[in-house]
Amino acid sequence: MRGYFFRQAWQNLNQNPWINAVTLGTISLSFLILGFFLVIFLNTKGLLEDWGGRIRVTAYLADSATAERVARVREEIRGFNEVQEVSYRSKDAALKALEEKLKGQRGLLNGLPRNPLPASLEIRLRPEYQNAVGVQRVVAKLRGKPEVEDLQYGSDWVERFSAFVALLQVLGLGLGGMLLVAAFFVISNTIRLNIFARREEIEIMRSVGATGLFIRAPFYIEGVLQGFLGACLAIGLLFVLFQLFLIKVYDPLKDLLGNFPLLFLTAEQSLAMALGGMVLGLIGTQVSVGRYLRI
Amino acid sequence: MIEMVNVSKAYDVSPRALSDINLKVEKGRFIYLTGPSGSGKTTLLKLLYAAERPTEGKIGVNGFDVSRLKPREISHLRRSLGVVFQDLKLLARRTVFENVAFALEVLGMERRAVVKKTAQALRLAKIEYKGNCLPSQLSAGEQQRVAIARAIVNDPLLLLADEPTGNIDLGSAKEIMHLFDEINLRGTTVVVATHNEELATALPRERIVLESGRRVDSPLSKTLAFA
Repeated sequence: MRGYFFRQAWQNLNQNPWINAVTLGTISLSFLILGFFLVIFLNTKGLLEDWGGRIRVTAYLADSATAERVARVREEIRGFNEVQEVSYRSKDAALKALEEKLKGQRGLLNGLPRNPLPASLEIRLRPEYQNAVGVQRVVAKLRGKPEVEDLQYGSDWVERFSAFVALLQVLGLGLGGMLLVAAFFVISNTIRLNIFARREEIEIMRSVGATGLFIRAPFYIEGVLQGFLGACLAIGLLFVLFQLFLIKVYDPLKDLLGNFPLLFLTAEQSLAMALGGMVLGLIGTQVSVGRYLRI
Repeated sequence: MIEMVNVSKAYDVSPRALSDINLKVEKGRFIYLTGPSGSGKTTLLKLLYAAERPTEGKIGVNGFDVSRLKPREISHLRRSLGVVFQDLKLLARRTVFENVAFALEVLGMERRAVVKKTAQALRLAKIEYKGNCLPSQLSAGEQQRVAIARAIVNDPLLLLADEPTGNIDLGSAKEIMHLFDEINLRGTTVVVATHNEELATALPRERIVLESGRRVDSPLSKTLAFA
């Protein structure tokens, strides 16, 4: 019985190879675009989290501030809601760090009469405040404190990048969504054509007493199979494109991009896409079967 | 086997296709349903295999109350009867054997049983020698035999044939009628709708005569039992 269903579904697919190829192509394209944006989104999200973690406010301390006052300010800052951690860097530590950075050109610092670098407090924010608003709130609280001579912070570029990612997300969902709707109509139409092509067989099936399940099942199998194959094809193609990108673009620019590891869809995400294809096929079939194949 | 009580059928356009039909056909009978074109023969057959629903009246076929049958129960009724359509409805891209086997495959029958029963039906319809041919390679009479083989392949209790000799010469038509007779002798109840009086006379059997949707063979009694 099951053999009959699959044989019949295969026969349907072969009956209109061109139409079925176009259907498969449309489903693949829809899922390819969705998957493409999903991969971009996954990676930019990781990148944003990584960069967000690097958002810091540095408060440079006045040389006149005594150790006691600095300790008090540090405690006060630690009490801010937005703040996760505050670390103190002394004047000596700052000079040492600079020397490390300059490595071979340490001689540049030799002529200095005294250490010109200020001591500072490195303020790390809680994850939920790692954005422009969080930074501004902390900065506002620090401004005007006599112990704090200068403030350094920078979050605008993270905000802009974040907005760009959000735009990509909307664009990907919008474009992918529209294509999925198109794929749904194409599937539905293909099933309708196959029902039409097999109308004589269906009439005979009805006349000899075939059950509704027997008449409908091959069409459902066909629709679900098309959705599944389309999604799998898209995942496969996306993987090939991803690998090509890694080899041709990413690897040569790795150092420039900060050696951030690029991620592909996880097995669960790939499976979800394949299942999505099957559901799309099922719904597309249901629409045509419900309308044109009333038993 | 078949019972119709005060059955009428009206389509959207008047007049009624069938009016106040009463009949009773008992098991194992061979009945002609005659009358001129448009008299309601096809409508009456369609009511019997539930392709149409009666506007009024009660229909019983093979123990099923056809007038009250739920859509999903129709398949049960149809498995108990065979239908030979006026336009045959043979699948052009399938061979003779496949056409007949198809009627069993779609009932979920096992392949081995399908092959066995198909071969038997083709033999009974005397068309087994054309098993590998496509319908287009057959004469009209041979195509008719394939349609009959498909209708009897599932051993129906009742065989309904709508103008089965419409497109064939008289000689072939008589052969087809003898084939129906043979099927009837095996115990299947046969109802053949035909407007061909000559044919009905050549192989005389009981008749139900329709005219303008009314039964006219029994002016004295509305219900005629062929007991």
